[in-house]
Amino acid sequence: MVALFLSMEYRPLWAVALPGLVSILILFSKNRPNLREIWTIAGSVCLFGMVLSMNAAAAGTGPVEVVLFPLFPGVAFHLRADAPGLIFATTASCLWILVSVYSIGYMRVLKEHAQTRFYFCFAVALFSTVGVAFSANLVTLFIFYEILTLSTYPLVAHEESPEAVSAGHKYLAYLLTGGVFFLLAILMTYHWVSSTGFHPQGILLPAAKNIPGWALSLVFIFFLVGCAKAAWMPLHAWLPSAMVAPTPVSALLHAVAVVKAGVFCIFRVVYYVYGLNLMAVLHLGMILALIAAFTILAANLYAIGQDNLKRMLAYSTINQLSFIILGIALLSPMAAKGALLHIPFHGFMKITLFLCAGAVAAIAGKKEISKMKGIGRALPVTLGAFMIGAFGMCGAPPLAGFLSKWHIALGAIQCGGLVFLGVILTGSLLDVVYFFPVIREAFFGKIPESQMLLQDAEERVAPLEEKAKWMESKRPLYLFMVIPLAVTAAFSILLCFFPGIFFIHDLAASAVTDIFGGR
Amino acid sequence: MHPNQPISAALVILLPLLTAFAVPIIGFWRKDLSFYASCTALAAAFLCALHLLISVHQRGTVDYFLGGWDPPWGIALRIDSLNALMGVLVAVLFTLAGFASKKSVPLELPLKEAPFYALFLLLFTGLLGMILTGDMFNLYVFLEVSALTSYALIAMGEPGSEVASLRYLLMGTVGASWYLLGVGYLYITTGSLNMADLSGLLREMEGSRAVLSGFAFLLFGIAVKMALFPMHLWLPDAYAKAPAIVSTTIAPIMTKVMAYVLIRIGFTVFHPEYVVQAAKASGLLVWFGIFAILFGGISALSQTDFKRMLAFVIVAEIGYIVGGIGIANPTALKGAIFHIVNDAVMMASLFLVGMMVSHRTGGHGINHFFGIFRKMPVTAVVFTVGALAVIGVPPTCGFFSKWYLLLGGIEAGHWAFVAALLVCTLINVALFFRVFDKGLYLHAKAPQSIPEPLIDAFTIQEAPLSMLVVGGVLAAGILAIGIGNSFIVKTLIQPAVPGGL
Repeated sequence: MVALFLSMEYRPLWAVALPGLVSILILFSKNRPNLREIWTIAGSVCLFGMVLSMNAAAAGTGPVEVVLFPLFPGVAFHLRADAPGLIFATTASCLWILVSVYSIGYMRVLKEHAQTRFYFCFAVALFSTVGVAFSANLVTLFIFYEILTLSTYPLVAHEESPEAVSAGHKYLAYLLTGGVFFLLAILMTYHWVSSTGFHPQGILLPAAKNIPGWALSLVFIFFLVGCAKAAWMPLHAWLPSAMVAPTPVSALLHAVAVVKAGVFCIFRVVYYVYGLNLMAVLHLGMILALIAAFTILAANLYAIGQDNLKRMLAYSTINQLSFIILGIALLSPMAAKGALLHIPFHGFMKITLFLCAGAVAAIAGKKEISKMKGIGRALPVTLGAFMIGAFGMCGAPPLAGFLSKWHIALGAIQCGGLVFLGVILTGSLLDVVYFFPVIREAFFGKIPESQMLLQDAEERVAPLEEKAKWMESKRPLYLFMVIPLAVTAAFSILLCFFPGIFFIHDLAASAVTDIFGGR
Repeated sequence: MHPNQPISAALVILLPLLTAFAVPIIGFWRKDLSFYASCTALAAAFLCALHLLISVHQRGTVDYFLGGWDPPWGIALRIDSLNALMGVLVAVLFTLAGFASKKSVPLELPLKEAPFYALFLLLFTGLLGMILTGDMFNLYVFLEVSALTSYALIAMGEPGSEVASLRYLLMGTVGASWYLLGVGYLYITTGSLNMADLSGLLREMEGSRAVLSGFAFLLFGIAVKMALFPMHLWLPDAYAKAPAIVSTTIAPIMTKVMAYVLIRIGFTVFHPEYVVQAAKASGLLVWFGIFAILFGGISALSQTDFKRMLAFVIVAEIGYIVGGIGIANPTALKGAIFHIVNDAVMMASLFLVGMMVSHRTGGHGINHFFGIFRKMPVTAVVFTVGALAVIGVPPTCGFFSKWYLLLGGIEAGHWAFVAALLVCTLINVALFFRVFDKGLYLHAKAPQSIPEPLIDAFTIQEAPLSMLVVGGVLAAGILAIGIGNSFIVKTLIQPAVPGGL
């Protein structure tokens, strides 16, 4: 039994099942909070270990496959730990550990209600995320995709205020309507080619002989609507509203699970269902690239006017996700590699930013940028990490964001889409426009008289100058929040110099070789 | 060849029938024994039904001649894969409902246990007879048996149930009379009442107007009993106001048995080409199905009572099934028959949840679901599984039958049906998430976070164990049918699809 558990053969299955098991254990540890937290941390560490071991193996042998039971004629419940899936799973599992530690600090400092429900839904969301990552066909993917939407709904509406519940309803409306279109697209695919399995050269090319191009393109649009999780405009509105959720949830939604599942699905549909040749023949790459370009620019323009820090980060995420979509749409090896690299890199950087926003809200009680003048003195580590993350968003070296954006830009040149190169550069410049003021005001801003008082989560009011010295070390619980964000910030720098950490670079290169055939 | 005539075919109808007559006597002697007597009979009938299913699959169609009289003079039971499956389905649901009734009946129907169980067993007999019989008139007899017992059972409910039952009685009798008229037309033109016999005779009578009229009357009669839009008006009140245990038993299954009768008449007695081309009925069925789906879904949205909401969901689900029957290609029929099975199990679990909630909170409005995730966690889990199944989230069974129905619609190019199904999925999301919100969020009025210790002021007050066990079995069944759907479709559903398609 132990040998079965440790064997590489079934490891994708165990990797998917583990967070599910953790969620059940959490449910039964309702009355012992410390045990409940231990389950989460232990589960996340074990999951990351399992995924890393598969990364190491995937470099040598091929992907590990697990076929469980048939679902429909020609379609089975099929898991495969291939290169893109492993990149996604690595991102999710590594960040789960850090966000779990952070959540302990955040939830307990704010004395949040319904913590068991929170941790339970978190674990189920991770279960479905790893399932999405390792799905080997559209139907298995769809199963985990829907569970992901449903399990994150109680997290979005966690506060249970009218605003939170309505944000939750908006969330469901967008994502489940998308799910219905996704189902229709999967059915059409099955109807045309009697299979839904992923293949690096796509599976729909044989159908192009009999099916008119407009039908294939329409179904592609249905697939895109199904990937509303990727927050491409105009299906993005659920994301800024979802910022009403607690910060660990926003960090999870924006860096790890939901949004990355959306872009990952777009990646799968473009390369593994439609395939390079069909995409080029039908000019679908151009359509997708135009949607992505529009989103990049529009999201950045929206972000400039925001006062609420988390909403600004939400628009920044919409912008960065479309960078990944652009990288996918350009249909060139460099761009695809950049897109795959941007999944973990953006994950680390964005999570740094969100964890900082949450720390500022929990420790100092501030949610609006206009009220954060001078906060850098009270929370130097936090704002320092924020600065690192912000530089990464703009694509500045020596941050990881530079490396992935460089690849995408090179890909744009490689395929002759110089317009898109312009979009990339403009987008990065606009990033600076809204991030820079936050950093400047935080470190160098003069605190106006009206905000001299600082109120922390325990509602102890004190003048800012007096409290300014290093609030972060005031309580051990604060360290639970600050250490993870320092770690993610450090990784954001490390990944630029060592993109091979966790085998990420090797996996991206191998995925691109599978698709483009060594070009 | 030695004909397949297992005794279980007769036993499965006789055992509940005889026990139904014995129960009032037993109940008169000792009230609580009526529960045990009924459960024994139900379990025995379930085992017979299971034996029948295995026998049909191993040795072929069962032709059981009652009293030894050969058809077409005698009454024959003719059991193939389709009705063996339906028989097991009805037996399972009745047995589970019987177990769940242990605590519910003394609470809701005090002093009436014996009459209740007698009527319950008679209803079971009627439904099984309808399913297993191979004779048109015999079907009518059992139809009336089940109808009359259900009228009586429904009228035992809350104030207003008598009127609901009366309306059901009036409409149901009209429907049954139309069915009888249809049988009459067929008898006059062919001289036979046996289904297998008719199937051969009717092939030569395609052009006859009398046969067409007979078919039309049959169809409309069944439509009334099946609550197909727009003949569904009796259903919401009847199922909502009935006693909880009665809703749990009959709501999932009675309309499905009528759907089975539709399949029988449309594809076995008459053959598919007739239905599609000569009578042009199948197109009509699909459109009625589409309207039922949309109307049922939208009406359900305006309900504040949980059971009424579920009743409208049933109207929509019948629309799925009838639409699938109307599309009449193998995939869609697989979907329709699989959906009959799945819908019965899903609705049973949801009505059972309604029963558990009303048992503890005294009512079955949506507001009564406040805080059930905290107060009644097992019930809440059963509700979650059932709701996700109706919405069609994999890996629950509801997703898989919807897949086949949608695929059948796509293959036939019936895009309106596909669109209606997908829209209804979203409507179902809205319906059930209203209830989820009530159950999950306790602080909807409190803007501040409440500290954790205060929440445990909600002590757990679960439903009785008998109901919980049945709920657990149904929820596990929903997931098992979903995960094992490929096996189930291949071994049970595929053979049940009527030939000639």
